[in-house]
Amino acid sequence: MKLEMRNIVKAFGTNLVLKNVDFSLQGGEICALLGENGAGKSTLMNILGGVLPNDSGDIIIDGEKVHFLKPADSIHAGIGFIHQELNLVNDLMIYENMFIGRELKTRRGFLDIEQMCKETQEVFKRMDIDLNPKTMVRDLDASYKQIVEIARALMMNASIIIMDEPTTSLTDPEIDRVFEMMRNLQKQNVGIVFISHKLKEVMQVCTRYTVLRDGNMVALGDVKDVTIDELAKYMVGHDVRTEALQHDRSTGNVVLRVESLESNAQFRDISFSVKQGEVLGITGLLGDGRSELFHTIFGFSHKKYSGNIFIEEKPVKITSTMQALKLGIGYVPRNRKENGIIKDMNIIENGSIVTWPKLLKLGLIDHIRQNEEFYAQVDRLKIKMGKATDLIGSLSGGNQQKIVLAKWLSANPKVLILDNPTQGVDVGAKEEIYDIILKLADLGIAIIVLSSEAHEIIRTCDRALVMYHGQIMGELVGQQMNEQDIMRLATGGSLNETGGKDDERRSEE
Amino acid sequence: MKQEAKTMNDAAKNDKKSVLLQMKHLWMTQPIFSTGIALLIMVLLQTLALGFDYPSFGAWFMAWFQNWLNILRNNAGIGIIALGMTFVIISGGIDLAVGSTLVGIGAVMMVMIDSGPKGILLNMGITGVPAYVIGILCGLLFGVGLGEITGLFITKGKIPPFIATLGTMKIIRSVTQHFMQGYTPTVPRPFLQIASFRIGGQLVMPIIYWILIAAILYVISKRTTFGRYVFAIGSNERTTRLSGVNVNKVKRQVYALMGLLVGIAAVIQVARIGSMDYANAGSGYELDAIAAVIVGGTSMSGGRGSIGGTVLGMLIIAVMNNLLNLLGVPPFLREAFKGAIVIAAVLLQRKEEE
Repeated sequence: MKLEMRNIVKAFGTNLVLKNVDFSLQGGEICALLGENGAGKSTLMNILGGVLPNDSGDIIIDGEKVHFLKPADSIHAGIGFIHQELNLVNDLMIYENMFIGRELKTRRGFLDIEQMCKETQEVFKRMDIDLNPKTMVRDLDASYKQIVEIARALMMNASIIIMDEPTTSLTDPEIDRVFEMMRNLQKQNVGIVFISHKLKEVMQVCTRYTVLRDGNMVALGDVKDVTIDELAKYMVGHDVRTEALQHDRSTGNVVLRVESLESNAQFRDISFSVKQGEVLGITGLLGDGRSELFHTIFGFSHKKYSGNIFIEEKPVKITSTMQALKLGIGYVPRNRKENGIIKDMNIIENGSIVTWPKLLKLGLIDHIRQNEEFYAQVDRLKIKMGKATDLIGSLSGGNQQKIVLAKWLSANPKVLILDNPTQGVDVGAKEEIYDIILKLADLGIAIIVLSSEAHEIIRTCDRALVMYHGQIMGELVGQQMNEQDIMRLATGGSLNETGGKDDERRSEE
Repeated sequence: MKQEAKTMNDAAKNDKKSVLLQMKHLWMTQPIFSTGIALLIMVLLQTLALGFDYPSFGAWFMAWFQNWLNILRNNAGIGIIALGMTFVIISGGIDLAVGSTLVGIGAVMMVMIDSGPKGILLNMGITGVPAYVIGILCGLLFGVGLGEITGLFITKGKIPPFIATLGTMKIIRSVTQHFMQGYTPTVPRPFLQIASFRIGGQLVMPIIYWILIAAILYVISKRTTFGRYVFAIGSNERTTRLSGVNVNKVKRQVYALMGLLVGIAAVIQVARIGSMDYANAGSGYELDAIAAVIVGGTSMSGGRGSIGGTVLGMLIIAVMNNLLNLLGVPPFLREAFKGAIVIAAVLLQRKEEE
């Protein structure tokens, strides 16, 4: 089977996500599809999977043009899409999941369990997998769930399988198991698209690569001819504005210090400190554990942790967000819609909820003082809005984010944690938020920026820690910060490693 | 002249149009507006059903007024419970145990103030007003305690509110029935004054309690941290917790408040009737209260709703019952109308745009 995608164009509104992208794949290849968040990888694959329609361009399978209007068309054409969030029902058995929606029936109309188990068994045999079809999916580990999904795709005669970041939630031995499976399929002439951020893994398992950047295909070739460094360079490109905004601020005493913090499987051996007036960046790729780390520091996580947290050098044990607030920690979370705003409440309430306990007069919230405090922040952050009593949803993403910032500023935090502060805001608002971050640092607040966008870290931070698999891989200070090094640390490499293809190959064989 | 008249006519037309548009806007954005209109229609129908066949306007008015006092008095208990249920539902929860809690609190209170030989306070030598005060306080505290326990099940035990209160509903009524077997406390006559004290010759005490509590709860819902946190939790619990709010404490307080209000309803019930039927009293109250809250425009999924809406919702159901009574609709059929109006109310309310 030979797949070709030619001149694919896709826009969301005015936002051009794919600009004339070509992509091709043959049976027996494992092709890495690489690119930063927002480069267009998922959009391209969603088009191939029939999830999204393309605006123009052709999909050609074995020389014939095809049109996918819905996922079923794509499946019918022999393409299996394994999404990052697996599509399995935990409370059903393996064979039930394999046949969900197209169960086999006996002549009397009952389920033909025997036949379904037999067919499942046959696919497993072909894949060299030893699994009982009557096992509950809940009891499988993440890698076997992945494998069951692949088996389901194969059962529907898939000859091309798309795997969207399959290894993010897997442990090392589980990753090896999935890779073995992939190589096995490769021998059977199945084509695999492997979407990943992890360049080390790409070097291990893939034969070819295609790199997307800002909706353009910027590089492709054979993996054996390329190094991790080169791939990282292709991914980030050179045309991003990366000059640092300001890096020579005077800093004061240490506000937050963390010593060998650890929580089971999410992060381990975390030690760092941040001073007054300092902007510390923490970066890495999706699933590196940084959000979980700061959920713990902010008292939002229910999971137990070991290690020590110090606020102004006093040891503290943080078990609730209320306590974190009292200790002077502020936290602007990621995913504004789920974590940042309260959609049924108006703008001023969203911006004041943190300070209500301080605004009480005879047990009632003093609306006059609430207005004063709120409008002070609105002026400070230059928030554009209609009436303060309009619902929060009436604001643009950037202004909503500023309201969330305003909420935390009114609490006068000593240390402010910003998790993906520019998520879902437009370019102009992004720059404004960067300015705000620096201004707050000038006021002596210790600031921690969490972001997976390296250029954001370089632009705003004095210092950056790079995380991978729940660990801090390295620290970059001031002028040292550059996208290649950050990408290398974030993909599991280290700074002094040459990262050449030869080393990789040798360790492979 | 003609020209002028025409423009004036046009202006009037435009005016009419904009008023209609405004009404439509209010209808779409303010759930309480549509509830108010529904109530108005109900009251109109009820007034018509009452008829105008009276010797004088004064006589008609007295009949109309007495009818209204009846409606309000008969629904004050559930009305108060519905106010608490509003907080529970806005917080994203539900409380099925209110009917049973009413019986449990009633039993505790009556055992305390019993003027028969077994009366606890009587045997301790406390009688009269001090006994009533202590009895009522015990009852209310019992209600708050039960609410706190329910809240603990829901927050610490992570049991869905529906299940937790389904459980406590069964437990409380059954335990009450068991311990009150063959024991009928006598409620001292002066205690009945709590409900039957007359002002201007009218039995209005339950109505006054209802209005007073509604007013207090209105302020709590709008102006206190507790009240606003309840809305915030119902709308987005994660964000609320990430804003440094002790969500579990607020949730416990919601069920404790519910228990307190059920306690007040129990005091009124005992004072009105002078006894309690442990097997049947309060049964169905939970659903009637929920119906009032829903008809009043509160969202079942939490985050949106109002005390004012619940008062109107309760009145709609109450007036409709009265109307059906006046029209002579057979009693068994009346519940069907109650069901229909709940469905109609939710159908009419604005739908969430996704």
